[in-house]
Amino acid sequence: MHFDLIIIGLGLTGLMAARTAVEEGRKVLLVGRGTGSLCIFTNSIDVLAAGGDMTIKESVTRWVREQPHHPYAKAGWDNLEASLASFTALFPPPYSFASREGKNSLIPTGAGTMRTTYLLPESFLAGALADMEKTLIVGIEGFKDFHAEYVAHHLKCRGITVAIPREKGNVTNAAGLASLMDDPSFCGDFAGLIKKRIAGEASIGLPALLGFRSSSRALEIIRTETGCQVFEIPILPPSIPGMRIFHRFKEYLTMRGVSIIQGHAVESSLRQGKRCLGINVAQSPLTRTYTADNFILATGRFFSGGLQTDENRIYEPIFDLPILQPPARRDWFQRRFFAAGPHPIHGAGVLTDHELRPVDQGGNLLIENLRVAGSILTHHDSTEELSREGVALATGYAAAKWTGGC
Amino acid sequence: MDWGLLNLETTKGNPDICIRCATCMAICPVSRVSPAFPGPKQAGPGAERFRNPKDASVDDWTELCIGCHLCETVCSSGVGISEMNLLAKAKYLDEKGRSFRDWLLTHLHRFDPLASRLAALVNPLLKSRPLRWLLDRFLGIDQRRELPRYEYPSFRQWFRRRQSLKGRKVAYFYGCYTNVHDVDVGKAVVEVLEALGWEVVIPPQDCCGIPRLGNGDFPGAIKLGTTNISSFQGVIGQGMDIIFSSSSCGLMIRHEYGRFLALPGAGEVAARIFDLFEFLNKEAQGKTLAERLSPLPGKVAYFAPCHLRALDISLPALEFLRLIPQLEVELIKADCCGLAGAFGFKKEKYDISQAIGADLALAIRDINPDLVLSDCEGCRMQIHHLTGLPVTHPIQLLRDSLKGGHIS
Repeated sequence: MHFDLIIIGLGLTGLMAARTAVEEGRKVLLVGRGTGSLCIFTNSIDVLAAGGDMTIKESVTRWVREQPHHPYAKAGWDNLEASLASFTALFPPPYSFASREGKNSLIPTGAGTMRTTYLLPESFLAGALADMEKTLIVGIEGFKDFHAEYVAHHLKCRGITVAIPREKGNVTNAAGLASLMDDPSFCGDFAGLIKKRIAGEASIGLPALLGFRSSSRALEIIRTETGCQVFEIPILPPSIPGMRIFHRFKEYLTMRGVSIIQGHAVESSLRQGKRCLGINVAQSPLTRTYTADNFILATGRFFSGGLQTDENRIYEPIFDLPILQPPARRDWFQRRFFAAGPHPIHGAGVLTDHELRPVDQGGNLLIENLRVAGSILTHHDSTEELSREGVALATGYAAAKWTGGC
Repeated sequence: MDWGLLNLETTKGNPDICIRCATCMAICPVSRVSPAFPGPKQAGPGAERFRNPKDASVDDWTELCIGCHLCETVCSSGVGISEMNLLAKAKYLDEKGRSFRDWLLTHLHRFDPLASRLAALVNPLLKSRPLRWLLDRFLGIDQRRELPRYEYPSFRQWFRRRQSLKGRKVAYFYGCYTNVHDVDVGKAVVEVLEALGWEVVIPPQDCCGIPRLGNGDFPGAIKLGTTNISSFQGVIGQGMDIIFSSSSCGLMIRHEYGRFLALPGAGEVAARIFDLFEFLNKEAQGKTLAERLSPLPGKVAYFAPCHLRALDISLPALEFLRLIPQLEVELIKADCCGLAGAFGFKKEKYDISQAIGADLALAIRDINPDLVLSDCEGCRMQIHHLTGLPVTHPIQLLRDSLKGGHIS
C-alpha cells in the first residue's frame, strides 16, 4: 500500500508527527514495534530543566544560543511552542495538561525526590502545589513498586500503607490496580480507607495508578471523600500516565484514519539512490512492503531498538545511518556510574542537517525524503537536560511539517 | 508430541531478549483481573528460563493464557510471549491429559452438519435448563453462558443453491461459525463482493484449527491445517486470492500455520489470504463503494478484536464504515472481550471471562450505540452476552447501506 507519509516509531515523537500530518489531510502509516518508551518513562512533559525560575521560552531560547546543534535549535522555538499547543489541545479537561505560568514545576517522585518538569497532567498538579508538611503519602499493601513510608521519610511527611479490600483479590501490579481504580465503587471504598487514617493532612499523594481511562473521576472521588487535595506521584515503570497519553493519541489517530501497525518491527528499507521508496515489515511467514513519498524515522534509542550496539560500535539498524559516537567502546561510559556529568553514550545519535534530514560527518545529505526525529538525534542528552518529551514533540512536529513542504 | 524435539527455530523462543519492562503486564486481560495468572512477563519469558523439555511441567497457570496476543502487540523487544505460553500449555496438557469437555469444545465442528439439519430440535435443547444444568454439573460448560444457535440451511447450503454471478474470482474462507451460527455474515460477504463485480468461489474447507491450537493440540491442528492448505493451493493455482471474514480464523491460517505448525505451503497461502476489508482496500474498492452507499442514520460502536490486532493490519473495516453517509462510528475503548473462544464457556473460567469484559461493557454503555460491530464471532457473542445489545459484523452493515436498508 502507498502512503503520503510513513512514520517509523510509536513513541511520543511518532505520535506527534502522525497527528501533525493527518491534520494536514495526509495519508499516514504509523508503524512501530510495541509501545516504546512512552509507556515506560513518560509521566509528565519535560522540556528543559536549565533556567531556574525563567519561563521555558526564555530558557530554551538561551539554551539554543549556546547549543546551535541541539534538536531544539533545529526545530526552533516556534515549532516547540506549536507542538506543545497541539499536544495540550489533544487533552481536553478534566485530564488536561498545563504548565504553571509558562515555567517549570517541581513534583515529588516515587524515590522521594523532587523533580523538575514542565507540563503537568491534572492529576499531578496538587503535588506541585502541596505543602509537604501537611501531606499524607499513601501506598498500597502488596504493591512493591511504591513504598509510602520511604517516600514520606525523604519528603519529611507522614506515609501509610493501606490494604485494599480482600474481595478484590490479590492484585498487586500497577496495571491491575489501575483498572480497579477505574471502577467508581472500588475507588470509593479505597477513599474511605484513606479517610480513616488522615490526621490533619491537607493533601494526599498516591502512586500514579489512579485508573487508565477514568483517572479524573478516581481523583474526584478520593478528593470528595477525604476533603483533601489529591495528587499522583510518578513511580517505577511501566508508567500508567504514559499509557493514558498513548491511548489518547492512538484513539485520535485511529478515528482520523491513520493506519497503525503496532506489533512488528520494520526490518529494512527499499532505497534507490538518495531516495527511500518503502519499508519492509516482517511478520512470520510474510514480509510486507509499504511505500510512501516521505518517511520519518523516530525509533528512539537503545530501549526501543532505534539504536543498537555490537562489541565495537553503535548503529542504526533500518537505514544504517551514520551515528555520531565515542571513538571506542571504552569511552561509552564514565568510570563511575554516578560521576558528575553525562555518560558519552547518551549523547550518541543520528546526525542531521538543520531540517532534520540525515547527513554524514561531512554534512552530505544521505536520504532526501527522510527526516529523523526524537531521542535518536545526537547533540542532546535528555536524561541530563530533562528534555525527553519536549524534544520528541518539537522534532516530531517539525519533521511532519517539513515533509509536507511547510 | 515429542517436546524434546520441539523446533524452536520456528518460534521467537528466546526469553533472554525480554528486558522486564512490564509493559505487557498492563495490557494482559487475564492478569489484570485474576491473581491466579502471573501475567505475560512472568508466565512467558520469566518462566521460560526454568523450563526444561525433559522435566515435568509445574506451571499449571499456563492454562489461563487466552492466546489473545495483546502482550506481543505492546512489546518493544519483540519477545514471542504468547508463543512461549502456548508451547508450555501444550506440554502441560500433554502430560496432564485433556478432559472430554475440552475435546468436545475443540471438535464441535464435526457435529455442525448434523446439528444444522436438526436445528429445530437442537436449539430448544441447547436452551433447556435441565440439559444446561447437566452440562454444567458433569462437563463443566457454564450454564450462565448462552450456547450459539444452529441455523438451517447452512451458509454452504445457501451458497450452493444459488446462481453465482460471473466475474473476477475470489475464494472465501467463511469458517465454522459463519457456516452454521451466523449465516447472514456469509451472505453479506457474498452480496457485497458480487455487487462490486466479483465472483465468489467457496473452496472445500475444514475448521481452521485455532480451537485445537488453543487447547495445545498440535497434531489436531496440523491435521486440519494440512487439509485446508491443500485446498487453498488449488484456488491459488487458479489465480485467486482468498478472503476471510473471521479475524481468528484469519490469524490462524495466515500466521500460525507457518510459525507454529510449520506446515508446507503455509508461506504461499499466507501471501494470498486477506482480511475481507483489507482485500477491498487492496483492490481499491472504496471509491466504487462510496458512490453507491445510502445513508444509515444512527450511531454504531466498533470493537477491534484482539486477533485482528494481532494480524497487525490496522483496522481496515473502519475505513469502510466511515464511507457510510450519516453513520456515526465510535471506537470502543477497551482491550479484550474476555470470551477467548472456548475459554469463556468453561465453568472454572467463566468468572474470569466476565471480569475481563466488564470494562468493555462500561465503555459501550458510555457510547450508548444503536448497534455494536465486531469482526470476530467470539467478541459478538460476548458483547451481546454482556450488554444485550444487537451485535453484527461490519460487512452486514455495509451490505445494508449498499442495499438501502437501515440499522436493525
